[in-house]
Amino acid sequence: MSRADRGHLVFGLIVLAALAALPFVADSRYVLGQVILALFYAIVASQWNLLFGFAGVFSLGQMALFAFGGYATAMLGFYLDWSMWLAMPMAAVGTVLFSLIIGLACLRLAGAYVALLTLAVAQVMYLLIVTDTDCFVMQGATCRQFTGGAVGFARFGDLGTRAIFKGDYVVANYAIVAALFLVTMGFTWAMIRSPLGLAFQALRDNPGCAVARGINRFSTQLLVFGASAFFTGLAGGLYAAHFQAIGPGVLSLSTLMFIIAIAVVGGIGKLWGPLVGAVILVLADEALREVGGEYRTLGLGLIIAAAMVLMPKGVIGLVEGVMARLRPASGRATELAKSGT
Amino acid sequence: MEILGPVLVAGITTGALYALATIGLSLVWGALGMLNMAHGALLTIGGYAAFTLATLLGAPWPVAVLAPVAVGALIGAAIYLLVAQPLLARAPRSFETNVIIATFGVAIALENAVLLIFGGQPFGQSIALPGHLQAGGIFVPWQNVLIVAVVLVLMAATAFFLARTRAGRAIRATAQHREAAQLLGVPVGRVYLQVLALSGGIAGTCGLLVSSITQLSPTLGADPMLKAFIMCVVAGLGNLPGAIGAAFVLALIEAFASYGLGARWGFPLLLAIVILVLIWRPDGLFGRAAVRRL
Repeated sequence: MSRADRGHLVFGLIVLAALAALPFVADSRYVLGQVILALFYAIVASQWNLLFGFAGVFSLGQMALFAFGGYATAMLGFYLDWSMWLAMPMAAVGTVLFSLIIGLACLRLAGAYVALLTLAVAQVMYLLIVTDTDCFVMQGATCRQFTGGAVGFARFGDLGTRAIFKGDYVVANYAIVAALFLVTMGFTWAMIRSPLGLAFQALRDNPGCAVARGINRFSTQLLVFGASAFFTGLAGGLYAAHFQAIGPGVLSLSTLMFIIAIAVVGGIGKLWGPLVGAVILVLADEALREVGGEYRTLGLGLIIAAAMVLMPKGVIGLVEGVMARLRPASGRATELAKSGT
Repeated sequence: MEILGPVLVAGITTGALYALATIGLSLVWGALGMLNMAHGALLTIGGYAAFTLATLLGAPWPVAVLAPVAVGALIGAAIYLLVAQPLLARAPRSFETNVIIATFGVAIALENAVLLIFGGQPFGQSIALPGHLQAGGIFVPWQNVLIVAVVLVLMAATAFFLARTRAGRAIRATAQHREAAQLLGVPVGRVYLQVLALSGGIAGTCGLLVSSITQLSPTLGADPMLKAFIMCVVAGLGNLPGAIGAAFVLALIEAFASYGLGARWGFPLLLAIVILVLIWRPDGLFGRAAVRRL
């Protein structure tokens, strides 16, 4: 096991212990709710990080995949009365198929072209949902659009935790979200270490050399795109099931920016960057709310620009840099040779 | 036939506006390889700058018309000095993606600043021509004629500036080959600054024109920017004449699709066409496959 992997494992165990201890320490339901939100953000950011930080695919459609998973879960529950536990995995599979269609259309291109097209796809999705006014079914006296329209969906079922745990259901939901987060991180780690992971990291670092070695850029990047969609869609489904609501708001630019800000502040291309970023930004968000809620978005925009300019490798990159300096010189050379993940 | 006229007028007017928005984007992409996500925010601020002077402060219209140009150019220059230049100096290899993220943050911050200062309610832009022209049974508002005329003049001026002036030659040289231009004594940093200021000034004017036929709101620039991006992508990023042509063609398609299929299908259809074009030609209609040294 390499030094980097040992580091990831130790960090993972610390996170596991912290996540397990939190319900006993956090006294209020509000704190637990914010942690759940941070974990959702961390899951989506970690998949965006897998796509951009490790595979070099600059997609701005991550929230479109999240929304697809959430909407698919909500619609399966709403129209077909499916249990959330069945709807969520089906929605995640659907999200993978959806992402493959987007990928087939967009991934033939590179760099900024991919960013623009995926952003346009997300924007079209948003517009089609918000401008949907045709009645699909009548719910009492109110008209219900097929896509939920500008209002979205609510009351389509829940995780079943409320019936079992009564007042403590938030703790149970927290456990489910935390478990999904840990599985997602394990998946991301396995992806990066797999032969496929080596292939897409090679494509990121030196596309010419990687292609010359026989790696197919299009199919490799399409595979990562589809793989990252699974947990993004599953997180979207769980988000809808936990909040028992989903609306077009998840497709807004500011939500997407929040996800990107998390990855940038934590450290792009660092395995645990999204978690660190999510914790920092949710705390910053809380602090900005204290100062004045209306400055929240302004502050986040400035944070993302400043973080990109001042610390492009994120907080984890900063800490790694400091640690590399503190280590004796002989150890540094081998560490430099091994670094990369 | 009665309906064809207004649709045509609307298509050509929005085409002109998209073309003006693409000029700024295309210039910056061509020279720096930088996708300025804050371009839409510059449009918005341009519209609000004119509104502030003309309506709130009561300034005469020549002053109010120049305000968006000045404010846009200033913010464009600030974006280069505070964001693009440090990113370019630190990591030129990952500049293309880093700058998108950073300017995305700037865009959200600027848009939100507008929201905080002016509030979310829409305002009407007072700088607009009243009345309309009647030609062969088609009503053409004078404001639309003015927009097309202003856009044509600005395009001609930009083309002249790029083709004939010393600064324009320096911009083209830098766009073609940064290092070679630098070796021949072109001050590349100053050229970049000029390009962003120029693009900001054009964006400000564009914002004024857009707000004159719609309404002022903090998200005014978002839609034209996204469309302008798509025009640039279809034509091949950095290709100025191609982007202008694509702007008019796609705007007309969008106008007719909105009329024929309903307003909500205009943009999705546009996107579908663009994706099909890009599958056929991944570097855009007029883009040449870039030869990259790896």
